[in-house]
Amino acid sequence: MMKNNLFLGLAMITLLFSSCTTDNTADIVINDNSVTNNTGGGGETTKPLVYLSGTMSSNLTLSSDNQYILNGPLIMEAGTTLTIPAGMTVKAEATGASVYIAISQGAKIIAEGTADKPIVLTSNAANPVAGNWGGLILLGKAPVNSVTGTQTSTSEIGSLPYGGTDAADSSGSLKYVRLEYSGGAASGSSENNGFSFYGVGSGTVVDYIESYEGKDDGAEFFGGTVNVSHYVAVNNHDDSIDWTEGFSGSITDAYVKHGPDHDKGIEADGYNTDYSHAAAFWSNPTLTNITIIGNGSSTGGEAVRLRVGTKASLNNLYIKGFDKGFGIHGDAGDNPTGAWVLDGSLHATDVTFDDVTNKLDNQTTETFTVTDLVTNDGGATQTDVATWGAGWTRIE
Amino acid sequence: MKKIILLFILFVSTFSYAQTTGSIVGKLIDKEYNNEPLAFANILIKGTTKGTTSDIDGLYGFENLTPGTYTLVFSFVGYETQEINAQVVAGKVTEINVPMGASAASLDEVVITTTTKRESETALLLEQKKAVEIKQSIGAEELSRKGVSDAAGAVSKISGISKQEGSSNVYVRGLGDRYLNTTLNGLSLPSNNVNKKNIDLNLFSTDIIENVSVSKAYSSKFYGDFSAGNVDIKSKDYTGNGFLELTAGSGFNTNAIGKNFVRSEGTGFFGYYGRYAHNPFAIILSHGIDPVDAGTPININYGGSAGKSFNFKNDSKLSLFLTGSFENGYEYRKGSAVDYTLTEKKAFDAAEEYEYSTNSTVMGSAIYRIDDKNKLKFTSLFINNSSDVVGYFGIDGTGRSRDAQQDTQKGFYQMNVQFDQTQMTINQLEGSHTSGKFDVDWGVGYNLVHSKQPDRKRITLENYQYALDNDPNTNPTFYNNVDYDNQRYFQNITDEEINSRLNLAYNLSDQVKINFGYDGKHKTRDFNNIRYGYQIVDTKYPVTDVTNFNDIFSLDNLRINPNDNTGIYQIKVFNPIPGLNNVNRPGLPENTYKGVLNVYAGYANAEIKAGDKWLFVPGIRFENIEQNISYDVINLGNKGVDAVNTTSTIFLPSLNIKYAINDDQNLRFTASQTVSLPEFKEAAPFVYENVSSSIGGNPDILGATGANLVNINNTAYSKIYNIDLKYEWFFSKSELLSISAFTKQIKDPINLVVGADATGTQRYFRTGDKANIYGVELEIRKNLITTDDDDAKLSIGFNGTYMKTTQNLYDQIVGTRFNLSFNKSKDKLQGASPFLLNADIQYAPVFNNYKPTGTLVFSYFADRIDALGSGDLGNIVEKGVPTLDFVWKNNLLKNKLEINLSAKNLLNPTIKYVRQATIGDVVVTSANGKGISNYKRGMDVGLQLKYKF
Repeated sequence: MMKNNLFLGLAMITLLFSSCTTDNTADIVINDNSVTNNTGGGGETTKPLVYLSGTMSSNLTLSSDNQYILNGPLIMEAGTTLTIPAGMTVKAEATGASVYIAISQGAKIIAEGTADKPIVLTSNAANPVAGNWGGLILLGKAPVNSVTGTQTSTSEIGSLPYGGTDAADSSGSLKYVRLEYSGGAASGSSENNGFSFYGVGSGTVVDYIESYEGKDDGAEFFGGTVNVSHYVAVNNHDDSIDWTEGFSGSITDAYVKHGPDHDKGIEADGYNTDYSHAAAFWSNPTLTNITIIGNGSSTGGEAVRLRVGTKASLNNLYIKGFDKGFGIHGDAGDNPTGAWVLDGSLHATDVTFDDVTNKLDNQTTETFTVTDLVTNDGGATQTDVATWGAGWTRIE
Repeated sequence: MKKIILLFILFVSTFSYAQTTGSIVGKLIDKEYNNEPLAFANILIKGTTKGTTSDIDGLYGFENLTPGTYTLVFSFVGYETQEINAQVVAGKVTEINVPMGASAASLDEVVITTTTKRESETALLLEQKKAVEIKQSIGAEELSRKGVSDAAGAVSKISGISKQEGSSNVYVRGLGDRYLNTTLNGLSLPSNNVNKKNIDLNLFSTDIIENVSVSKAYSSKFYGDFSAGNVDIKSKDYTGNGFLELTAGSGFNTNAIGKNFVRSEGTGFFGYYGRYAHNPFAIILSHGIDPVDAGTPININYGGSAGKSFNFKNDSKLSLFLTGSFENGYEYRKGSAVDYTLTEKKAFDAAEEYEYSTNSTVMGSAIYRIDDKNKLKFTSLFINNSSDVVGYFGIDGTGRSRDAQQDTQKGFYQMNVQFDQTQMTINQLEGSHTSGKFDVDWGVGYNLVHSKQPDRKRITLENYQYALDNDPNTNPTFYNNVDYDNQRYFQNITDEEINSRLNLAYNLSDQVKINFGYDGKHKTRDFNNIRYGYQIVDTKYPVTDVTNFNDIFSLDNLRINPNDNTGIYQIKVFNPIPGLNNVNRPGLPENTYKGVLNVYAGYANAEIKAGDKWLFVPGIRFENIEQNISYDVINLGNKGVDAVNTTSTIFLPSLNIKYAINDDQNLRFTASQTVSLPEFKEAAPFVYENVSSSIGGNPDILGATGANLVNINNTAYSKIYNIDLKYEWFFSKSELLSISAFTKQIKDPINLVVGADATGTQRYFRTGDKANIYGVELEIRKNLITTDDDDAKLSIGFNGTYMKTTQNLYDQIVGTRFNLSFNKSKDKLQGASPFLLNADIQYAPVFNNYKPTGTLVFSYFADRIDALGSGDLGNIVEKGVPTLDFVWKNNLLKNKLEINLSAKNLLNPTIKYVRQATIGDVVVTSANGKGISNYKRGMDVGLQLKYKF
């Protein structure tokens, strides 16, 4: 009897474990005749090659005698300054989101090119594409509305603190800086952009910058008071201008041009809906002389999405080639975007809709029309990018 | 005490019936249970209708017997029946003391029954009554009666305990997974899930459970990491003469039946996956994405158990027990999947999930009873558990995502195909030895767990409404905001643990017993994961058939040469192998971490009897705890590679007092200090991405110091103070009334909340200085109609818990990596229902040889906080759920055949979670529940046959 029992038991085990899964998985054989692996796009091979990454606790000044390859996170600690000379091109290894430059709170970047000698931060891939590397992240001490007082929030990439009480904080100076092929992301909630401005203060100089072929947003503002002038965003796959968390700086003279892959020209939130609107103020920037060029109204698309209770003052806005001009989204709860249209704190003056099918898509609980939002429909002129963008930008 | 009763009986006997009749008295002792008194054994006088049972102290007596020779039959379930002749003399008392046991002797009329002492409800009630500490158990008999199929169901029948619907989470007095411990035969059990501290109790089918007990009050023999309770599963063993039992059953779920079921490609019917040996990159190149047919959704289960004992000289005995079983289940859920924070982020009003699960268990045990005083037991358990879930989100074309690029108001769609497999091996060797006044108990265990999520596939589409419009010219396209919106994911966890226990008991006198003990465990976890993203390079590529992604992600469509514009996609990896590109190449793991927990503990306690009524058990425990976590994770920049090592030394005093009001009533009091240790996953800052939520760890919970930190306590554990007071009244052998009151204070409690960052990731923080819990519990078991033998014919059981919880919340926390704020200073404790209820009613009539049992079991928990809202977020609340099950058991052919019919989840309530938002309650999906919210689980109907040879 015992033997029989044992035998039955074993038979049962065999039955349990002889699982009928399928395999036939192939082996990996790499015949690498297609991609040049990270060995640069040629060029300045005579100069010594210097790799850049790591956390810098002292100043770092790049020398035009060297060529630089960014091969990981380059994080400037508080009190340090990263200086990049005019005319320099820094190439980033094309390994995505883990390659970026971050200027921590209290640190500065001095990257001052000229129209003739712009500073270019680009991919090191032989065939560069959007998302090859992370991008440039500036973190300052200006107010953000997700936290109050001296509290700080934490950035999506690098987990670095930002935000504070110093509206006039300076993170340095960016002039004639072109970023290419950035925006590599780890996930939908941890995205690099071209320029990421986290709580950057008004003491920072940002004049003549471009984000070209970014996988994510061209420039994203997480709160802060920074004033940006002469901004070009070409072929960014997500939004070309994005703000949230109480951004209250300004953007003057911006030229946005969509490529085949794009999201909105502007997408803006009043605060961080994932977490908090602890400091009661709302995003409320001033935008002046903004031109947004889409792919034509027949291809769909929406030029400006204003949502989550953002306020804004928009002046001289030229929108061309979209199905929708403005999309205003809000609800009767925490997101009174519609109420701001009615009380005038979200308003546009001098707007031209050129090849735009629907000027306004109202997705709020309030009732209003395009005349409530826009004063002087048809009164805009395009920003003169041909003049101020000459020499240092890529617009093709 | 025992002598006094004996004398009392003698006295009464002598006094009342001295002249013409005689009597028999005696004491039964339990050879299988440390020679303790054997209660509730039956004693019959053969050839008469006279019978009695032994009392709590093993004593029995027959009075008023006519002088002469009688044959007494002593019997107890699972033990050998003995017949002993006795001579009754007028005016005198015959004393017969009988050692009872399972071992064979040269007597006939051996009766073998299905249950052993520790499975019987009555015996467990008795154990509870006698127990030194506050403990509640539920045995195989009651589990079977209530139709409970696994240990999770078992514990939820105990007062103050609730199960989370749709997950394996168990709450004891409102405290969830992280506040519980699970042991098997007193030795630590590993978890089968990276997100959990405790093993899924569903893995322990009742076939291998002798009983499950929950200790809600601490005593020094437990590890100091003790908050709400310890769940101990006693595995079955067998000491009888031999048996073989086979079971087979089948059933279905009313929601699943008739559905065309699907599961992951590459997995087997028995819950196995055959490609672990291969590099994930080879797997994604060789195998497709689309789910495959999963067959007809009819659940089956089968199994068998066998036992045999061998008797040797000198009373030694070897008992073998082997059991194995397989079961599977099909479940279909249809509801919504919504992520709503302060605004709607992503919402699928129509979503469905197909889940195919399996569980295979094999357990063997060998008990070698060397002699009366020495015993060894070896237990080996293997479990294979799998869950295969295919989810389709946004199937009606109305899915919304605020990050969508084509249309944020409609057409967002996701498919998630996920297979999880856990293989667990547990080996234990235990021994107990008695020598003079010393008792030694020891055990060593080795656990190995492989928990894997191979090849999870996630597809994200936009304009899905075009898949439904029958117009071949309009089609969905891939959503490709980031390279990982369409991805394949592989995750591996290996947990290993060596543990040991040793207890030396010294019986100083009848009044005082002293225990000294040592416990040690060494536990490690190795974690790694890797993702491959499908970067869609042909971003306008029309998806003409949403059921055929294999043809899209074929090798022909891979853009191998970036210079030509052919192909649809490239494969991206986050961490390239040095020297290789991150495009179309295998990569290195994205996140890895290793956790080590070492605990070395010594304890001493004394069981001191003072008089007949009082029992005092003071105890002290000392522990040395090392917690180390080292990690290499993405998203933290240059802080992503780091390690935290801590060592803590703790002293934990405890005091248990029992006051026996009389034979049937006890009053108990316990007070203790314990700790709660963080889990590896809470400290390792790796972020896991669900379809609509992400969760990550925070090394600060192991303690941190620094000038800029705010409200960060440099502690690696939470201190807990516990006080319990309990009154219990056992008013018959199977009836009970108990009332208890309890309070706990938890210092530096940990909550999972959304941190102050730009990603919305939930992380673990020590969110306040303390949390308080107050509660009362009531338990009643009552027989309404009994048979002539005093067995219950109609009986009811009820237990309920009412609780009040509160925790303080810091207004802000500034940590080394993550910050947090609250806009409220207090809230209830996450997971704590203010009200829990379990009730059952059973009818068990007897028709000659046919003994059916019908049981209706009801349970309910009130609404509770599922996720605490930080910042301006409202709480997520799990809505209360009532559950009603019916089980009908039939014993036929002299108990050889059992036919059981069950119908479960009769009320079929809606399971949902809501976010308490400014605009009112919004249905959301919980990271703790299934991928779908607002669904009905359906009724489970099943039939099972069990035959004993």
